[in-house]
Amino acid sequence: MFPFHSDFRQDAAGKAFVFSKTGQFSDFSYITQNGRLTEFLDCVIISHFHLDHCGALPYMSEMVGYDGPIYMTHPTKAICPILLEDFRKITVDKKGETNFFTSQMIKDCMKKVVPLNLHQTVQVDEELEIKAYYAGHVLGAAMVQIKVGSESVVYTGDYNMTPDRHLGAAWIDKCRPDLLISESTYATTIRDSKRCRERDFLKKVHETVERGGKVLIPVFALGRAQELCILLETFWERMNLKAPIYFSTGLTEKANHYYKLFITWTNQKIRKTFVQRNMFEFKHIKAFDRSYADNPGPMVVFATPGMLHAGQSLLIFKKWAGNEKNMVIMPGYCVQGTVGHKILNGQKKLEMEGRATLDVKLQVEYMSFSAHADAKGIMQLIRMAEPRNMLLVHGEAKKMEFLKDKIEQEFSISCYMPANGETTSIVTNPSVPVDISLNLLKREMALGGPLPDAKRPRTMHGTLIMKDNSLRLVSPEQALKELGLSEHQLRFTCRVQLHDPHSDNDTLGRIYTHLKSVLKTYSIQHVPDGTVIVESIVIKVTSSAEEPNLKVILLSWSYQDEELGSFLSTLLKKGLPS
Amino acid sequence: MDSDCLSLLPAVCLVLADPKQSPPDDTSLEKLLDWFKELHSQSDGQVLLQHQPCLLEFISSVCMSKTTDPAILSFTLKLTGLLAATTQELHLFDEGGLLVNVFEREAWGVCDLWEDASVRSGWLQGLLNMLKHQQALGFICGNGLIKVILQLQNDRSLFVACLANQLLVHILNFLTSPNMTNGSDVVGSSESSLRPDWVSASSEIMNAVVEALSSEDHPQVLQGLRLLSLVLSKCGEPIISTLWKDVLVPLEVLVNRGSESLIQTLITVLEAALGTPLLSQSEYKVEELLEAMLGDGNRKECFHCAALIVKLEKCPEVLKRKATDIILLPLQCVSTQPQAEKEINVVLKEQLSQKASCISLLMQSLSSLAQLAHTKYLFEDISIHSITSSVLLLLRMCSGHCPTSLLHSNAFTHLIGCCKVQRCGLDTLGALSVYEEILDLRKDIFGVLLDYLQSPDSHATVLKKTFQAVKRWIVCSPFPDLLQFISHDLFPVLEKRMCDLRWEVRDSTLEFITQLTTALNGNSGFTEALHTSGMVSVLLSSLADAEGYVRASAVAAVGEAVTASSHQMVLVSNSKLLDEALVQMMAILSQDTEGFPRRAVVQAFTSWLKGSHLITALELSLSSVLSLGGSDFDWEVKMHTLELAEVLMEKTLTCCPYAVQNFGSSEETRFTQALIKFKNFGLFDLLFNSLFDCDRPVCEKACALLVKLRTLTAETADLDNSLLVLNVCGNRWGDEVQRRYLNKQQAKASVSVTNGVTGSDEGTDCGLHCTKDISLPKILQILDLDDMQRMLTLSSDHVVNSPRSLMEDILSAAQHSEENIVDCY
Repeated sequence: MFPFHSDFRQDAAGKAFVFSKTGQFSDFSYITQNGRLTEFLDCVIISHFHLDHCGALPYMSEMVGYDGPIYMTHPTKAICPILLEDFRKITVDKKGETNFFTSQMIKDCMKKVVPLNLHQTVQVDEELEIKAYYAGHVLGAAMVQIKVGSESVVYTGDYNMTPDRHLGAAWIDKCRPDLLISESTYATTIRDSKRCRERDFLKKVHETVERGGKVLIPVFALGRAQELCILLETFWERMNLKAPIYFSTGLTEKANHYYKLFITWTNQKIRKTFVQRNMFEFKHIKAFDRSYADNPGPMVVFATPGMLHAGQSLLIFKKWAGNEKNMVIMPGYCVQGTVGHKILNGQKKLEMEGRATLDVKLQVEYMSFSAHADAKGIMQLIRMAEPRNMLLVHGEAKKMEFLKDKIEQEFSISCYMPANGETTSIVTNPSVPVDISLNLLKREMALGGPLPDAKRPRTMHGTLIMKDNSLRLVSPEQALKELGLSEHQLRFTCRVQLHDPHSDNDTLGRIYTHLKSVLKTYSIQHVPDGTVIVESIVIKVTSSAEEPNLKVILLSWSYQDEELGSFLSTLLKKGLPS
Repeated sequence: MDSDCLSLLPAVCLVLADPKQSPPDDTSLEKLLDWFKELHSQSDGQVLLQHQPCLLEFISSVCMSKTTDPAILSFTLKLTGLLAATTQELHLFDEGGLLVNVFEREAWGVCDLWEDASVRSGWLQGLLNMLKHQQALGFICGNGLIKVILQLQNDRSLFVACLANQLLVHILNFLTSPNMTNGSDVVGSSESSLRPDWVSASSEIMNAVVEALSSEDHPQVLQGLRLLSLVLSKCGEPIISTLWKDVLVPLEVLVNRGSESLIQTLITVLEAALGTPLLSQSEYKVEELLEAMLGDGNRKECFHCAALIVKLEKCPEVLKRKATDIILLPLQCVSTQPQAEKEINVVLKEQLSQKASCISLLMQSLSSLAQLAHTKYLFEDISIHSITSSVLLLLRMCSGHCPTSLLHSNAFTHLIGCCKVQRCGLDTLGALSVYEEILDLRKDIFGVLLDYLQSPDSHATVLKKTFQAVKRWIVCSPFPDLLQFISHDLFPVLEKRMCDLRWEVRDSTLEFITQLTTALNGNSGFTEALHTSGMVSVLLSSLADAEGYVRASAVAAVGEAVTASSHQMVLVSNSKLLDEALVQMMAILSQDTEGFPRRAVVQAFTSWLKGSHLITALELSLSSVLSLGGSDFDWEVKMHTLELAEVLMEKTLTCCPYAVQNFGSSEETRFTQALIKFKNFGLFDLLFNSLFDCDRPVCEKACALLVKLRTLTAETADLDNSLLVLNVCGNRWGDEVQRRYLNKQQAKASVSVTNGVTGSDEGTDCGLHCTKDISLPKILQILDLDDMQRMLTLSSDHVVNSPRSLMEDILSAAQHSEENIVDCY
């Protein structure tokens, strides 16, 4: 079983970088060195379509050779190949990478995907079952409960506990998993209202357009882009604005198609308005042609890729960077080695090819619209699911430490935050259902005590028979009878040596008297055949001809009288009263 | 560039060493380290340290600080190791005792930094970087660092433990390398020529392995085994045999204990041992141990061992046979007749009665069989005939056919509808097609495969595997009634499958038809069957499928069908097919919203053009394809269009039916006519537009083609330039050409003015300033194609991703106080 998270190289904080320095994929040799992943993994689960969750999937299935089932929700299955294709094209475009997965590989990989419905339990094999829950975050994102027998783990992927413009909030039932693995991107942040950020965004775009400037919004092919589109579309409609809005990539047409198709995955508001019009059918947003970039007058353009490191978005940026009336809005993280990273760092002169420089006069804005649960949201999810243990991933160590303490205090459960490559062991108490024989139950009842109650666990003694994959608790007698076995008695023996200048018989008599005085409540017998018996304990005395005063006292007792037997042996070692 | 970087280095060091600054992300630090590595490999390291005193200052200040960030410390450790990789550098470090300070593990322990896995990993990597010379080894041994490394071998971080193992192997290897043993003969030489502390270091490591293997702690045993297999595969003598002698006893204990969780690692150890001289010496018991792993086939774990042993490359033959016999048991057991019951062992019987273990055993059995078939393994004790029959029976059981006499009715119920076994069985059946001995089973084989194709319950992935198996069996041995089978049995099923609700199935079916058509290319009977069975019209209707992937596969299938039919153009139906295909494909190229089908269309044209039969028929569509493909918003469609253009150029300019034929005319005239033809096709528009595209691969390809064209025009002396004039106004590339043209003219003019030259031809040209028409050879000269080509071979982000840019980023991030909240997608 292998819940996927962050395929690409992660930094110490666990943040994933889609475009890492070398563009290399996860090293699957840590799972198995000989590449036979199918033998090691029962299935692969993809929580949502973002590339830090699915970017290495075709590599894993088509190049490393994983041939087992891959699970994801219907929208993820539909949208995932669009992003993978985009990722592949950008990588190949940038470097002419040849050792990268191909379109055919993406397709072959998607053919292996088994789609999941929300709340539907899917039996992966005899022992393993999985169930998906709504996670918000992006269209089709799911949290997954993974269950083997009575033990279960919930893996959240990325989730959002507050509904946004197009998606609802994450939800899970009180499934009480043994372990809840949660992302903790905003472990200590209580995020300011998204409304404020949206208002800010619209204000900035509006102001720029009003003064005749052009606004460039570099985005990945989908996800955030759709949310911003809805935002602008509604605003344009309300304000009756005329400046054109363009979307630069052909990929989006298909993406919008899927957003329309999977409208049931969006939030209630969008579903409601669907009767009048589909929110993803944009009236104001049109396809972009490269020649439009030189058109005079204001416009807003969404262009890929999101980090301004190649292709259309970079081309438009170069054209517009010199004019202070224009604006670029970066709605996401940019890795080092991209123009996006540079301008976010405030660099005003960019070196271009052939030692040419580009003056960045346009306004650079950074706006975060990411849909992750904040500290409050994470606590809310724990309250919902009531896990027995908690594991935090996908966050910064220091912030996670803070949240970990908070969780442990408030919920009194163990919280773990292993670094990449570290193993955490968690103790679970699997409940194993066992049938009890009626006879044993009756006997137990006869002994008195309260009636059986599911909420009050009680200890019961019996013999456990494991046969044909079933477990039954029966009385020892019944077990013997059923299995055709005869009972064996287990006795403990012990020798105690003591000096006693009497005959063996007298010594035994003295022992009898001594015990009578010590163990007043016990029945003690002196049997004529030369033994003293206390409960199941048998005591004999022997001595050798050479040394008649050295008596060897032989004690023997059964398992039930273990305590008494030990007591007597200690007692006799001290000697007899004179 | 490096001198620029070196001038920025002191400032960067200051920023990195400043504990108040938050460290750059780890990709930046790694890139910086890469740059140091490159610099170090290029120059003498000593020079770097001497000329850049800031480096030593940086390292020492990081080590002194108690508030260093773990990321910076990890980086510093790695860097120090890298910079101390030569003896001279090490000496520089050692002067002030800095090296000991850096790698003094206790120092980090004080401020809990050692708790951070990245610090431990940096520490190991640093030592690994440094271990290039004797002094480094002396430093490690002399400061008791071996002990720490051995501790880290059992680290809770997988990465740290793995790195520790690598370092230990490196140390062992280094100890026995020729430069360490004073030039004496290494192989077989005793360790006496080594320094005593080194001898003790190597025995410390080896003892640790022995101790780990004898441990009761499972993770420790695993780590010990991992180190052992690394030593076996990476080290030479005398390390291998010395260590092996010591570990043999605990290893034997582990093997005989037969713990399930150790099997994989034990086999890896033994596999590594197989590749060493240990194998040939019986006292080292390599073969014996492997045999012991198999046992007598009566242990639960023996099947897993057998499956692994079958796959070993250098496995002794006897052992392989034994493993093969064992691993085939589950398969035979499930599908044998009752009389063989007494031979079947109890353990296997029990395993087969449980669903999970039954499925896993059968899959091991099947995949091992497939593996053996790939090498065309010669089975001895058991006939390939009976094995194949077993596979067939198993596949039938999976699809619910209960055999009349069945040994394991339990197994049968486990197998019904089990996709895992079906997929594995079909793969194996396909692999078995290499054995000619079983050709007589073909009827049964195709029977089973057809059943799978017909069954409504077949999973999409199972159907894909079925197609692969069918293809392998058809291709391996065409049989007399093949066509009969294809048109009567196969095609009706395929037609049904092309209407399947699942796009995955429709796509796999179309891919299969394409592959089949390619494989049977030239078989007129097959082509005829394609047409007469109505398959062609189903293919054509698939071009309008709702799923883009399927449309693309349909385009490829139709393309292949047209190619196959082109050999028999006399048939009316064939030319009709081409006409219809052209209409629909052009519609896809101009209207389809997805890139895959559009790419497929251009690729189909390219493949048609490569064949010589269709060329004249395509002439009318070619210019449309070039113009539509060249202006597509998917740059890969443009790339494929350029590939089409390349084929067109080759075909036209070389001797082929399509080459411009004008008997009696000179070569120059023919070339000119070819260029005119290109112009009419819109080929130049395509090439020049693509040259200024915003996607690098498109520009690169266009540039390469234009360079080729330039060479040809330069070689042809008497070109009639007037016939090859291109209009450079009103289009994007034209503006760019004109701009460059003017720039060049201005440059020339200013040179002329300064030289006082007037009235020359060039001077007259300069007067033209803006021109509408320029001849092709002139344009090719104006553009600095060589310069462009050189730039285009570089990655499109080479400027922003350069070391200098990296340093500037680190510096500007430090000045930029406002923190951006990192937003993860």
